[in-house]
Amino acid sequence: MSVVSRPATTRVARRASALGPGLVALCAVLAAVAFLSVTQGSRDIGLADVLRSLGNLGDDGSIASTITLELRVPRTLLGILVGAALGVAGAILQGVTRNPLADTGIMGINSGAAAFVVFAITVLGVRGVGAYVWFAFAGAIAALFLVYAIASLGREGATPVKLALAGAAVTAGLASVTSGIIMTNVDALNELRFWQVGSLAGRYAPILTGVAPFLLVGLVAALGFGRALNGLALGEDLARGLGQNVGRTRVAAFAVVAVLAGAATAACGPIVFVGLVVPHVARFICGPDYRWILPYSMLLAPIMLLLADVLGRIVAQPDEVQVGVVLGVVCAPAFVAIVRYARLSEV
Amino acid sequence: MRAWRPILAVAVLSAALAGCGNNTDSGGTAPAAATGPWSFTGGNGQEVKADKAPTRIIAHAGEAAALMSFGIKPVGIYSDESVKTDPNLKNLDLSGITILGEEWGKIDVEKAASLAPDLIVGDWWPAEKAHSGMEEGVEEKSKKLAELAPVTGVSQGKSIVELAEGYEALAKSLGADVDKPEIAANKKRFEESVTKFKDAVKAKPGLSVAAMSPADDKLYVANPEYAPELLDLQSFGLDVLNPASPDPGFPYWENLSWENADKYQPDLILWDGRSYTATANAEWGKKQPTWFKIKAAKAGSTVAWPAFWLHTYGDFATELDKLTEAVKAADPNVGG
Repeated sequence: MSVVSRPATTRVARRASALGPGLVALCAVLAAVAFLSVTQGSRDIGLADVLRSLGNLGDDGSIASTITLELRVPRTLLGILVGAALGVAGAILQGVTRNPLADTGIMGINSGAAAFVVFAITVLGVRGVGAYVWFAFAGAIAALFLVYAIASLGREGATPVKLALAGAAVTAGLASVTSGIIMTNVDALNELRFWQVGSLAGRYAPILTGVAPFLLVGLVAALGFGRALNGLALGEDLARGLGQNVGRTRVAAFAVVAVLAGAATAACGPIVFVGLVVPHVARFICGPDYRWILPYSMLLAPIMLLLADVLGRIVAQPDEVQVGVVLGVVCAPAFVAIVRYARLSEV
Repeated sequence: MRAWRPILAVAVLSAALAGCGNNTDSGGTAPAAATGPWSFTGGNGQEVKADKAPTRIIAHAGEAAALMSFGIKPVGIYSDESVKTDPNLKNLDLSGITILGEEWGKIDVEKAASLAPDLIVGDWWPAEKAHSGMEEGVEEKSKKLAELAPVTGVSQGKSIVELAEGYEALAKSLGADVDKPEIAANKKRFEESVTKFKDAVKAKPGLSVAAMSPADDKLYVANPEYAPELLDLQSFGLDVLNPASPDPGFPYWENLSWENADKYQPDLILWDGRSYTATANAEWGKKQPTWFKIKAAKAGSTVAWPAFWLHTYGDFATELDKLTEAVKAADPNVGG
């Protein structure tokens, strides 16, 4: 008997009963990948030295201890938080705009963050990553609300198509402002190299502590959107019919996405593909229920991000390849494969 | 990002052309006649000719500074950045000179045409086979500058001294009296600086230095082979480290992840002058947990390295004097 001919309820129930343990298994995988991320790197440090450093929990001045505790641990924690944020932000964006290609780039978040950072450097004379974070964050939020405001003009409100169009327009506008400023100011260009390709390198405790509160709050809030996104997936009218306040859901969802993706971009620059690909993988595993897609995205994304980062660290010793580059190289074919061989679930 | 983009463009090509033969001729041989027919053989080996010595010259930033140091004032200058920050131009009197561009790859050719130039001067980049301002990657419009007048320039490459000598020869051919006391003084000062530098180096046997450029995601260690001023320092006797594995696609540097920042332990760090400040070392020590794992950094043994811009005897002399002081102050046992 083929799976298709089984009563649908059995399938959903079976799926749900497997999805819970699946989450636990993913947690274990994430822990294993995190361990890998702390023990592997562009410098060979013996496992014993790593464990001793972790056990001491204080920098004893040795190079092994400095690298483990001050470079790799914050980098790994940041990777987990940023990965989770990008994954779940992508899932929410795809759900709320009902657009399978929605990601943080489309909504103007990266360009908004970059524009504000450039403004901070050139006009306000701000220096130092710690300060940029706040401007990037504010820029992401401003860009998202600008996109939403433009898309909301007109009788039918912020439809997915209008949102995507407004996002593209705002992105183009902000990008031209940014490059206009950069072209006439070499200092800004120099500082912005940091943001050109997404990277986890060079991000230490101050950046982690700077963005972690936003990311944690955003992640918790994001998990509450499952039911609302399920409603929206049925279509706006049906969602309204079920008693959902569609406009309010959208605004709330965008606010959470702005916090998550803005803080992630501020910390690591534009990291591509995670927000786009991971929700599709999650949907492939979980089916259309956002109450599962969101937590799965939240775990799958950091696994993918950390694995890519570890790979980038060990392929080019003593150099490193930025995680953004690795993701582009590894994920683009993976995404093509998904599109080609596994019929993408409807959003 | 001073001079990063031109270098990037050069690097892309030099990677492609690596092994296609090294053009080491420094260019710049000229007949001394300033009246009557004029000719000059540039770094590309091509001779440019005119009925009389050109007088309305448009030059790229550093080349303009070089000509001006010999008393030849161009009518127009194009620069890769603001003329107020360009290290070659920022201390020069540019009154009466038309600024034709302050961004790499962008030259206002219309304005240039209105100056009716009779010679364009830009360094010749052997790897890229182009003059400054007309390289791969600049705006197509900018390249039309070459249609206004003959283009020439001295070859970039292995030595700032050769570059300065080349522009001395060009200036002489254009009628400059390079032996005039106030002009010759620069060269004399440079020669004295070299002597002092060599003496200081000799007095510090075992002193090793490395040229570095710390950045947020990586630490870059300069490859002297692609940095003419570092090759000059080596030829003056300074032990400038040759990194073991420069980036094959961009051989100007060896890239070290911050985990590997302590790979090299020089006694003195030549710090990329484009990012060097008096407080930079302390700031980077705070910002990058492994920066002070380089013992010289921890000991504060750092000095600015005039990276990729020098063109004149005067500038080189000034920078050499600073390096001489740093060498004198350095402890040859810091790096171990």
